[in-house]
Amino acid sequence: MNRPDAGVTPPPGSWRLSWALGERDYSILIERRACFVCLGLLAALLAVSLLSLCLGTLTLSPREALAGVFGYGDPVSAFVVQELRLVRLAAGVATGAAFSLSGCLMQTLARNRLATPGIVGIDNGATAFAVASVVGLGTSLAPPPMALAGAATATAITFALANDVGTRGYRFIVTGIGVGAVFGALTQLLMARVAIDTANAAYPWTVGSLNARDGAALVWLWCGLAIGLVVACYLSRAMRILRFSDAVAQGLGYRVRACRYTALVVSVALAALAVAVAGPVGLVGLIGPEIARQLSSHRGVSLIASALSGAIVMVAADLVGRLLLAPIEVPVGIVTAIVGAPFLLWILLRPAPRFQS
Amino acid sequence: MLVLLASLLLVGVTSLLLGAGDVGPLDAWSVLTGGGSDEARFVVESLRLPRTLIGVAVGMALGVAGSLIQAVARNPLAEPGLLGVSAGSALAVAIALVLGASAATLRISVAQLGALAGCLFVLTMARVNGVGNDPVRLVLAGAILSGLLGALTSLLLLVDQRSADEIRFWVIGSLAGRRLEDLRAILPSLLFAGVLIVAIARPLAALALGERVAVGLGHHPRWIRLLCVIAVAVLVGAATAVAGPIAFVGLVVPFVARALAGPDIRRTLWLTLPLGPIMILSADILARLLVAPSEMPLGVITALVGAPVLIAVVRAHRLPAL
Repeated sequence: MNRPDAGVTPPPGSWRLSWALGERDYSILIERRACFVCLGLLAALLAVSLLSLCLGTLTLSPREALAGVFGYGDPVSAFVVQELRLVRLAAGVATGAAFSLSGCLMQTLARNRLATPGIVGIDNGATAFAVASVVGLGTSLAPPPMALAGAATATAITFALANDVGTRGYRFIVTGIGVGAVFGALTQLLMARVAIDTANAAYPWTVGSLNARDGAALVWLWCGLAIGLVVACYLSRAMRILRFSDAVAQGLGYRVRACRYTALVVSVALAALAVAVAGPVGLVGLIGPEIARQLSSHRGVSLIASALSGAIVMVAADLVGRLLLAPIEVPVGIVTAIVGAPFLLWILLRPAPRFQS
Repeated sequence: MLVLLASLLLVGVTSLLLGAGDVGPLDAWSVLTGGGSDEARFVVESLRLPRTLIGVAVGMALGVAGSLIQAVARNPLAEPGLLGVSAGSALAVAIALVLGASAATLRISVAQLGALAGCLFVLTMARVNGVGNDPVRLVLAGAILSGLLGALTSLLLLVDQRSADEIRFWVIGSLAGRRLEDLRAILPSLLFAGVLIVAIARPLAALALGERVAVGLGHHPRWIRLLCVIAVAVLVGAATAVAGPIAFVGLVVPFVARALAGPDIRRTLWLTLPLGPIMILSADILARLLVAPSEMPLGVITALVGAPVLIAVVRAHRLPAL
């Protein structure tokens, strides 16, 4: 027992996990509050998911829904749960988590609370390219790689234009809005050029809906999300330091540039893959991190909590959209826009704004 | 000014000559010089002529409204479409349709009321915590507001299929299929706004020098602002009622006018009169030609032109103060 820090008490409010591996000792600090917040969010996510499995045109009791998930019980309800609602739920959880994680990463690296991929035009770029893929223009790749290409293009343009105004202020955001407007117009242009059936096939991408998810894109998204979560956990310490000035981060031994680029790549890729599944529902990327921030302490950037709350928001918004005008389904993009816009205004208008994440 | 008028004439004639149908430029030209087949005569006189005239009216209304709202907000980025004024009038029309109205004249007054509400809301917002002092922040607030209003409009259209079919093409902004009656219906509003503007142009120019200067010169800033907002709402409401929400015209036109004539609003207002129609008509010609047999929304073209201008203004190291 010659651990160098064995006798040191961990800082208040956190646990230390330490173990020995070969010659070396490792230990990590786990913040107690973050643990509880994540567990609470996970429980809430499970509850919302269960609701989303139960409610719909055919209302099931929780017991029936759970029986359906595992394949026994009434064949009709099993079919509804397994074939319809479970896939939709998987799409909702994954897109919500991806949008939210991507928003949180970009807010942190741009040091700007409003800088989420949805607002600075990256979602629109991904949408334009995904629509191009659906309407069969030029080289027709599947939507996910096309969305990745579009998001990368939009990011390159926005950040290049922001090069001399910096990413911190509102000018960056409005530049992004302009880039987004151009890509939105391009999407419309593409939709206007093709036959009406093809345009209808591409329509869900332009409003944001979980209705027309296709299997391949969902698999892409889950793989991307798994990789993204691992990278995010690895980066979480660096992200915490990135909130300070570059000089401080560098002095503490972080390679600021490398960290920032990694975070940017993960953020853009996640946003693009999520767009390929559900279309631009970018406001989730703003609401999710904000909820997580309100729940967590100010010490860390709560990446995991952001992903969880984003998933909750997405599933809940989809549920509301399905139930609100029962036979008609309100696209989830409209629900999040109506809920998210007042929230954005509040961020913008509240007194003494602190725009650092 | 003469050059602008000449180019307006040129664009107008081009808009009469070119189109999606079988009637080519030569046929249309022979109609203009007094001859031509019956078919060509019909196409030019009852389809392209109303469209061109309405384009001129809408362009003037949007260009002037952009100039005015920029003067009131003292913000080179303020624009009826970006600030949510057009979205407000679109939402008002959607509400009226869902409640069962469908008369064309009703649509205009309702659209103007909606525009007024949107205008007042965004300018009130500008007073909260000094958002108005930062031009870029005001635009952001307006963009959020128009996103919200747009989502509400889509929600209403989902609820009510009948009105959705009635206004689906209108809600994305286009000049296609408008008749001369539409123009006649908005003419009184345009004249009213014109009189209002003549009355407030001089005080507005004084207001540009600062609140105190304007008061010292014997003007009443509050009244000027209120009248100006009313004029903007009347103009934008009328334009939106005819052509649907079209963004970015009110941004680009005053921008060009200021570049040509300097900051005095009494001079830029004159220049916006030909500049607005030039932009709208050229965009409309492109919208007809780019996807030849069908048409595309006018707002797409104006966005493709306008968004780069927005970015350029934002990136200017020092925002030109108004």
